[in-house]
Amino acid sequence: MSAGPLRPRGAPGLPRRLSGKAWAFPGILDVDWEICSYSLVRDLQRKGMFTYEQLGQYCMINVDPEFPRKVQPGDFIVAEQNMGYGHDHDHACMAIRGAGVGAVLCESAAPYFLRNSIDHGLPVLEIPGISTAVTQGDALEVHLAEGVVRNLTVGAELSFAPFPPFILEVLDAGGVYPMLKARLSAAGRR
Amino acid sequence: MGSTITEKILAKASGRANIRPGDYAEVTTPCPTVIAPHSAIDKGAGLILEWGARVFDPRRVKIVDGHYGATASHNAAENRRWMREWAQTMEVPDENSYELGRQGIENMVAVEHCWPLPGACYFQGVNGHISTAGALGAFASALSYGTAAYLLTGKTWVKVPRSVKLVIHGTQPPGTCPRDVSEYILGQLGPSGAVGMVLEWTGPYIDELSMEGRFSICSQALFAGAWTAIMNPDPRTVTYVTARTTEPFEPLMSDADAEYARVVEFDVSAVEPQAVPPPKRHVVKAVRELEGTTVNRGFIGSDANAWIDDLRLAARVLRGRKIKRGVILNITPGTVSILRQALDEGLIRVFVDAECVVPTPNEGMEWGANTPLARGDVCIATGQTNYPGRMGSNDAQIYLANPATVAASCIEGKIVDPRRYL
Repeated sequence: MSAGPLRPRGAPGLPRRLSGKAWAFPGILDVDWEICSYSLVRDLQRKGMFTYEQLGQYCMINVDPEFPRKVQPGDFIVAEQNMGYGHDHDHACMAIRGAGVGAVLCESAAPYFLRNSIDHGLPVLEIPGISTAVTQGDALEVHLAEGVVRNLTVGAELSFAPFPPFILEVLDAGGVYPMLKARLSAAGRR
Repeated sequence: MGSTITEKILAKASGRANIRPGDYAEVTTPCPTVIAPHSAIDKGAGLILEWGARVFDPRRVKIVDGHYGATASHNAAENRRWMREWAQTMEVPDENSYELGRQGIENMVAVEHCWPLPGACYFQGVNGHISTAGALGAFASALSYGTAAYLLTGKTWVKVPRSVKLVIHGTQPPGTCPRDVSEYILGQLGPSGAVGMVLEWTGPYIDELSMEGRFSICSQALFAGAWTAIMNPDPRTVTYVTARTTEPFEPLMSDADAEYARVVEFDVSAVEPQAVPPPKRHVVKAVRELEGTTVNRGFIGSDANAWIDDLRLAARVLRGRKIKRGVILNITPGTVSILRQALDEGLIRVFVDAECVVPTPNEGMEWGANTPLARGDVCIATGQTNYPGRMGSNDAQIYLANPATVAASCIEGKIVDPRRYL
């Protein structure tokens, strides 16, 4: 069997300055239902349809069926407490990235969702106050390394603890495996 | 100021004198890592093969076939073959493979062998319920998508979590098991009660609890948003570990003046049998409130309730009785050694006489790989989760409860409070 469906995309990682529109989702968002249905993912796996882009077509559809069609590349999901609740299933991170979302901004994130997202090259930023400072459709600008998010629509600014350099490096590379692959090839050349 | 057990373990694992919540650290462990055929390929193990790379130490990889049993679905046959070939290519020693016949739910096999050691980190492929191993005084985490990154480098990173100290008083109420205590307290904490933190379970109730009860409680940490759970090792822990491994270990304990995000006290003496109706995992009720709901399917298993204590509790309800016609009750022991114990105690005979189905040990029905649910089915289960589609059809419903409640409800074909059967 090939590991093809999970081969990291060839595209480079994220820029450190992101801008896009806010898509606000209230309440508890379970990785296995609200973000991307577990049984649907099983079906997609069975059919060999398991890329970021294929999962992205089903991102958040149990909450907003039109979301994958409406969201624009680089837009943000804004969530409340415990974003990515539930199991350590990483398909939810793949679906969000595959839908084109640039980053998830939340009050707090479930720990496995946060770690899996970093490994998939998707920034998940815990920003206290974000869910009240941002409403649906606001234009936002996020500076990953500086730890600043600006709401351009209302002219407000929030700060957050930026990731340390080693995590920014993972995000720069587009995920942990693109990063490791580059390192392994570099070591091979020496 | 003192340190929590979690801070001490992470300081040691990162080679630092001390460490504080919020610090980032690179950590290592002497403990092996369990990976499994149902998930390894998707978590980067395929890339290791594709790149012609090597795992950092194949002797520290254990392969446990814990999620399939005898299933024909979930691509079991191909993934199992793939896993075996991967293990051979990576030169994982044969004795590290726990294939069918030696298998069990990965978390349960891991703690039965004490691969997680007190005072150390323990990293497992997938399954956040590996918080189970916190009952041994280990800092236990799933690696999930980062599994292969760990297998390549032998290192992973942590952001040191804060801890919530839970002080549990009281004794086990009749008709309940440790899972009810866990559900009750998770319900009180709420789904975001400890986001990213460690649940440190302490108190007289925990001190009196068997290791199995401790495993069961620790397995559920993620439902409060917590990263993992942990318990301070006591003589019972040390006895359990020394009987199962010759590996050296150094138990660590929280200091009396350790700092916690919160300290919460509970008395559980009056806790009733608990149940979680679909579809929200975090809405916890007393079974009494749901009595009379018709069910046609049951499941006793999963890392919450596939321990020998759980099977004994189910057998107390089922002995001399039969489940209702039209109901299927799947009782899956968690590991082969638990199955063997259940055979020795005559429990399997009780289940067969009650007309239950007893698959070979595995995660099985929990994720719809054995006796999956069909459209319209209503299941009462000791599984871990109840979101739509978890055990098969999206159009089936899953109620979660303890083994006695599941058994009694399958006898009557409707949800009942099990206490009248005990």
